[in-house]
Amino acid sequence: MTVDFLIDWFAAMGDFPVIAFLLAVIISGIPIFLIMALNAIVAVYVERKVSAFMMDRIGPMGQGPGLHAGKWGLLQTAADAVKLLVKEDTVPETSDKFLFKMAPYIIFIGAFMGMAAVPFSSVLQVADFNVGVFYIIAVGSIGVIGIVMAGWASNNKWSLYGAMRSAAQIISYEIPAGLSIIVPIMMAGTMNLQLLIQSQSGTVWGILPNWIIFNNPFTFIAFFIFFISAVAETNRTPFDIPEAESELVAGWMTEYSGFRWALFFLSEYANMFVVSGLAVAGFLGGWQSPIPGMFDSAGWELFWFMGKLILLIFVMMWFRWTFPRLRVDQLMHVCWKVFIPIAMFNIFGVGIWKLIFG
Amino acid sequence: MGIVQGDQMILNIGPQHPSTHGVLRLEVRTDGEIVSEIKPHLGYLHRCFEKHSENVTYEQVIPFTDRCDYLASMNSNFGYVVAMEELMEIKVPERVDYIRIIMGELNRIASHLLALGVYGLDIGAFTPFLYMFRDRERILDMFELTCGARLLYNYMWVGGVSHDLPKDFEKICIGFLDYFEPQIKEYNNLLTYNKIFIERTADVGVIPADVAVSYGVTGPNLRGSGVKWDVRKDEPYSIYDRFEFDIPVGEGQFGTLGDCFDRYWVRMLEISQSVKILRQALKDIPDGNVHQALPKKIRPPKGSVYRRTESPRGDLGYYIVSDGTPVPYRVKMRSPAFTALSCLDEVSRGWMISDVIAILGSLDIVLGEIDR
Amino acid sequence: MSKYFANIYDTVNTLWTGMRITWRHMMNIKRDNVTLQYPEERWPRPERNIGFNHDNYNVIRSRLHVDIDECIGCLKCTRACPVDCIKIDTIKAPVRGEDIPNVGHTGETSSGTKKALLVSRFTIDMSECCYCNLCTYPCPEKCIFMVGGPNGSKHPIDYEFSEFDRNNLIYQFAKLITPGQKEALQNPTPEVEA
Repeated sequence: MTVDFLIDWFAAMGDFPVIAFLLAVIISGIPIFLIMALNAIVAVYVERKVSAFMMDRIGPMGQGPGLHAGKWGLLQTAADAVKLLVKEDTVPETSDKFLFKMAPYIIFIGAFMGMAAVPFSSVLQVADFNVGVFYIIAVGSIGVIGIVMAGWASNNKWSLYGAMRSAAQIISYEIPAGLSIIVPIMMAGTMNLQLLIQSQSGTVWGILPNWIIFNNPFTFIAFFIFFISAVAETNRTPFDIPEAESELVAGWMTEYSGFRWALFFLSEYANMFVVSGLAVAGFLGGWQSPIPGMFDSAGWELFWFMGKLILLIFVMMWFRWTFPRLRVDQLMHVCWKVFIPIAMFNIFGVGIWKLIFG
Repeated sequence: MGIVQGDQMILNIGPQHPSTHGVLRLEVRTDGEIVSEIKPHLGYLHRCFEKHSENVTYEQVIPFTDRCDYLASMNSNFGYVVAMEELMEIKVPERVDYIRIIMGELNRIASHLLALGVYGLDIGAFTPFLYMFRDRERILDMFELTCGARLLYNYMWVGGVSHDLPKDFEKICIGFLDYFEPQIKEYNNLLTYNKIFIERTADVGVIPADVAVSYGVTGPNLRGSGVKWDVRKDEPYSIYDRFEFDIPVGEGQFGTLGDCFDRYWVRMLEISQSVKILRQALKDIPDGNVHQALPKKIRPPKGSVYRRTESPRGDLGYYIVSDGTPVPYRVKMRSPAFTALSCLDEVSRGWMISDVIAILGSLDIVLGEIDR
Repeated sequence: MSKYFANIYDTVNTLWTGMRITWRHMMNIKRDNVTLQYPEERWPRPERNIGFNHDNYNVIRSRLHVDIDECIGCLKCTRACPVDCIKIDTIKAPVRGEDIPNVGHTGETSSGTKKALLVSRFTIDMSECCYCNLCTYPCPEKCIFMVGGPNGSKHPIDYEFSEFDRNNLIYQFAKLITPGQKEALQNPTPEVEA
């Protein structure tokens, strides 16, 4: 269900190209929003359970069908969502009220736009751009504007620290992420996500699926660099210094409450979804089946894509509940002195590999 | 603190802040992330322990000592009763000595577990904190079995202890130690050897030995700086001279001697040493009456005494002046966490805000003891 | 240069070790779980802390309870209390060791001590109590102990006695004596002749 298809469909009904375009965009926006909301609800629940199991706890158990001590707290996130929606929305007296109110929407828009280009299967993609990879990387950095706005407008020293850290971190980690995602682009020769995924069909060395990660050692390293940079871009542990709980209380989110805070939360999980989706599409064969030639009907495509994506999101959670957090300068050190040189080296390596073997 | 110049700003960390370990306010002057001066503001938890002690009888002071260092109440009790027994020249039965040492060492493990777990939390690792709390809980269960209380025990009395050990205590305690020792390895693998943790703590907040000594820093913080000083060994009280144990000191294996990692690591090693002491004590504990030496009425002779003991946080000293009445004339507590906090400003200048949190956590302060 | 790569290897290695540990805990959650679903499940109290008459000493640190029929009004517990949360008023009993049925006073304790005093007020403010257990030791009749509920006898041990009103934490143990009865007891009139 691409947006182009809808535009064509509406355009065929009458001669109102602008209205057809708007209708198509609005209609295709609804599933994106639903996916975002569903993703947040499921991911928050899973995160709670994963963290609990790793810590020898059992996590939320109360809310759920069957009410008290019911079924594994299945409705916990729904209860949280209701609580956040009815919670008082506080705006600090001394804040810059316009920016303060704007910031959540900007962050949300960034995450929302990224979701539009995620290729769920060969047909399920809202917008199929010819520069899809570039687009996701580009809209992914809109969020930092919102974060800086939120931090500045809150008129709170902790928020300001969080915002400044976040800006430095996200802008720095765009570079290794961008440099690493160049590797699959070089391998496939396209920025179009569908074509990129299609290029990964078949097998390599006879056994492994022909995913870019398995193509050569450089792509293997590039995947890890991209993934870790993606974790950093989504502000998750061990790179959660913008909202470092034990240092900055809640970082740039300190002054937010209620629905505005819920938007931050929604965007955080949507960002996880988008960067994982990009990693899956770029390195892990997107919706391609891990057993080439089998299980590759349309339904299976969605299954494989979501399966890989959930796996990556789980690894992000695994990181979060295992590692301590880095310091600002160490974060920069890791980025500029480890990831960027290796990512650069990877590009050369892949180029030479392509010259020799490709 | 004076006038803020140029790009500097003043940041109040606390009194409500996740990692000030209670109600401490740090007035921090920063230039961006770099800290140029720290001024700790104390007293949010001041309960007039010393003045209060001048108005209650000697045995009634003991519940108040519990509330000073609430993470190591047994050790707080221990220091007070040892001082009182020295003042009154009481010789307690051997079983009492053994029980006290078992309780003191168990509480040292509990306190260190909390310190290490919370330190991991300060650095950002959530999971080790819960593992350590899980094991601390088992120690508290043993205390509950012994004296009914889980946090504030009022267990040690002048001349004895309030209850004898329960019947199967030795078995339960050995069972705990057998369970617990492999856990130390797991903590190390999960947190201590973690590269991010080492990066965050090694070389950070170095307290050189001379600075530590001149500020009067004691306990694991001093030993982390490489000074081999432990009251249990150097001025043995009770029957600590009968046990064989080492005093772990910092070696600076990942950075400079006396950094946050050393202080953390000394605590980790001390847990193993406490386990060693416990095993010896549980093996040798004699039978006997625990109330034999209990004085009917505590009315010490005129005079004064100063006795220091090794609490998990360092030299815990009690200075008790008696004027011959049942009420102490003066009780002064020498708080180890207070002196540890005093060097925070000097140690953390030039470091970042994240490091201040790390340094503060590594000093393992308890505000109940600092403010008293 | 080799140090640079050794560093990276070290990082990956130690982080992977940590991740293996959390993974193992997640997989063995059925065995390792320590959470109790609180209102439904409770942590068992240690065996030693299960009742009044266990060993010589009571090792519970729960609510204070007084068997008021045993109390002789000696005030030893109030003197032992470091926070002064026990308040006792007494009236001299007209005749030592004799029952006074109309105020519910028994003349003798179960151990046979003849009471010289009549306890007209015995309150314990549990919100002030510091659970030090010091009051229970000096009691000559062993009638004050840390267990059970406020006014009923031999309540089950519980640690859940929060109240919505602070005044409900002031436990009254003495039998109710009206002001008129109190007056009569304090100024005993020779009623034999009347």
